[in-house]
Amino acid sequence: MEHKPVVLVEGLHKRFGAAHVLRGIDLAVESSRVVCVIGPSGSGKSTLLRCMAFLDRYDEGRVFIEGRLLGYREVDGRRVPDSDRNIDSVRSVIGMVFQHYNLWPHKTALGNVTEALRVVKRLSRREAEAIGMETLAKVGMEEKANAYPARLSGGQQQRNAIARALAMRPHVMYFDEPTSALDPELVGEVLEVMQELAGEGMTMVVVTHEMGFAAHVADEVVFMDEGEVIERGSPDDVFKRPRSERLREFLDTWRARTI
Amino acid sequence: MSFDIDIMFRYGPLLLSGLWTTVHVCALASLLAVAAGLGVSVLYGLPMRPVKLLCRAYIEVMRGTPILTLLFILYYGGPSFGLTLDAELVGIIGLGLYGGGYFAEIFRAGFESIPAGQLEAARMLGIPRRLVVARIQIPQMLTLIIPPSTNQVIILVKESALLSIITVAELTKNTTQMVNETFAVVEPYVAVALLYWLLIEGIALTGGALERRFGYAS
Amino acid sequence: MDFSGVISNHYGAFLAGAGMTVTVSVVSIAAGMFLGLWLSFGLISRNRPIRLPSAAYRSFWRGTPILVQLLIIFYLLPEIGLDVPPVAAAMIALTMNTAAFQAEIFRGGLLSIRPGQVEAARMLGIGMPAIRVRILIPQMMRLVLPALVNETISILKNSSLISVIAVTELMRTSQQVVSVTYRPLEAYTVAALIYLAMNLVLARAGAWFERRYAAAR
Ligand SMILES: Nc1ncnc2c1ncn2[C@@H]1O[C@H](COP(=O)(O)OP(=O)(O)OP(=O)(O)O)[C@@H](O)[C@H]1O
Ligand SMILES: [Mg+2]
Repeated sequence: MEHKPVVLVEGLHKRFGAAHVLRGIDLAVESSRVVCVIGPSGSGKSTLLRCMAFLDRYDEGRVFIEGRLLGYREVDGRRVPDSDRNIDSVRSVIGMVFQHYNLWPHKTALGNVTEALRVVKRLSRREAEAIGMETLAKVGMEEKANAYPARLSGGQQQRNAIARALAMRPHVMYFDEPTSALDPELVGEVLEVMQELAGEGMTMVVVTHEMGFAAHVADEVVFMDEGEVIERGSPDDVFKRPRSERLREFLDTWRARTI
Repeated sequence: MSFDIDIMFRYGPLLLSGLWTTVHVCALASLLAVAAGLGVSVLYGLPMRPVKLLCRAYIEVMRGTPILTLLFILYYGGPSFGLTLDAELVGIIGLGLYGGGYFAEIFRAGFESIPAGQLEAARMLGIPRRLVVARIQIPQMLTLIIPPSTNQVIILVKESALLSIITVAELTKNTTQMVNETFAVVEPYVAVALLYWLLIEGIALTGGALERRFGYAS
Repeated sequence: MDFSGVISNHYGAFLAGAGMTVTVSVVSIAAGMFLGLWLSFGLISRNRPIRLPSAAYRSFWRGTPILVQLLIIFYLLPEIGLDVPPVAAAMIALTMNTAAFQAEIFRGGLLSIRPGQVEAARMLGIGMPAIRVRILIPQMMRLVLPALVNETISILKNSSLISVIAVTELMRTSQQVVSVTYRPLEAYTVAALIYLAMNLVLARAGAWFERRYAAAR
């Protein structure tokens, strides 16, 4: 059988008007591996993740999800934008967690989780709620199932959002700074859930400023600056033996800030 | 449907004279509405309960009844209490009183947006109440009140079409006259819609300019 | 003055007129809501061929007097071979008018919903129609409820001018009462009070709903 990474990114470029935000990114995420993306603010981490989900359309290069091209179709060697249906189908294996949770405020914690099960997977209310409760239990939220997002703490909201993505049984989870909108004392509960997921073998791409998490959980750490991958390697390589000046500077600033 | 440009030339002057009536009636009615609204909103701010209640009643009645009933009461009912007015004057007074109810709410929101501390500071300096309104409150309120005021004048212009029903020879009335005399419907109605639309866009643009001139980001 | 005479001899007519006023207003508001929802998505569409006609529609129906709109519908529909009774013409005009105002209200509500919520739904594979119906519209409705109540009051008041095309609603009823009693002051004042009462009830109901929704959040 031909081997395929879950996510494969080749020569990705993205421009916002004149700003060249991604300048040729290559990335392969193998099954059950955790890749953490770090880098200074504005380096293009979120944009990379959003292009890998086709929430932002990329200009050049290709993104494959389990071997299927995301966002475009190739017709006679030229590429044309794909239909919404095909895009939905390719990305149905991706679960995404956002910095600001993006919960739907008019639905309860359980309602947020069951919504897609109902309208996308067309499950009955009972089936959807059974899966919903199970998934909420997994993130320690079963007691808050009937609470609206406005009544939840930030940490609870983010765990709710993780459950919402997990309930669809994704093959890979994307996290875009899932803890950076949280009060410091709430960061731990979210990281714990993520660590547990990694332990169960979930494939994950995590954009984060939590160097401790990256050092402990990542299989590979990718350091980005100004739209390029500057360094990549095992957490030990990247954190203990930085080769480039830019990474050294970045790590120094980070250490200075945490002390 | 076809468009006869010739009758447009013949009836152009009639429509334009109607437009002029609409403009000057609306201008006077707007002035009256602003004055009534300002007066009522200032009275509303006084610490006297009966005055407050009266102001509230005025605002609710104006905002809760159609302008058409108000015009009919003044025009047809007026003579019952010895008030026989020319239709145009009824129009100006009716639109003015009606708009006053809305302007009162706009000004009230404006006054309430100014922190009480500023007024106390002015009082401690001995600045008379009248000058506090004119020199401290109104200038600050402008940012807040220019957009809804523009909108209110636009509404007033649109309501003024109803004066045709009480026989004021304004734009809509003259248009229906043209319809009755020529039996054409397309040309007059396209023309009248366009004229109102231009008038209203003009007011919106003016309002935008005033906003830029007097408003300040706060 | 003779209020009691006007009321006691004609209260049935006033009630029937008020009933017509309510019917026309309710139908127009409901149909206008349906049209206005479509239009509001047109107004925020990224697709120019959808956005520009939506904006043009809004510009005409918000930028001309409702009386002129009513006359245009009433006299132009027969021109293109559509003969409709006055009540229908009245409802069409009020519907098309309120659709433009409601669309603008909805547009404001939609813009205040953070785009991340739509992205989250897209990532779960929820299609745009379901996103509109299940995520955007329910939230937006709560936000715009006060504005919607004001629009309803405004339509209820504006429905008075369909009396000019001979629809026997409250205003025309009072004109008919005047023609037999010669008591314009009394009859028109009664009409005004009925409008006022209906609008006060509407405003109260709106405030009640708003409090209820605020508590549910
Ligand atoms: N929608 C957009 N339109 C224009 N420019 C954008 C847009 N989104 C991002 N950018 C620009 O792209 C660059 C990369 O932004 P991005 O959000 O990917 O950075 P980031 O690495 O995630 O930063 P942070 O750590 O602050 O989240 C920035 O310069 C940003 O201003
Ligand atoms: Mg980011």
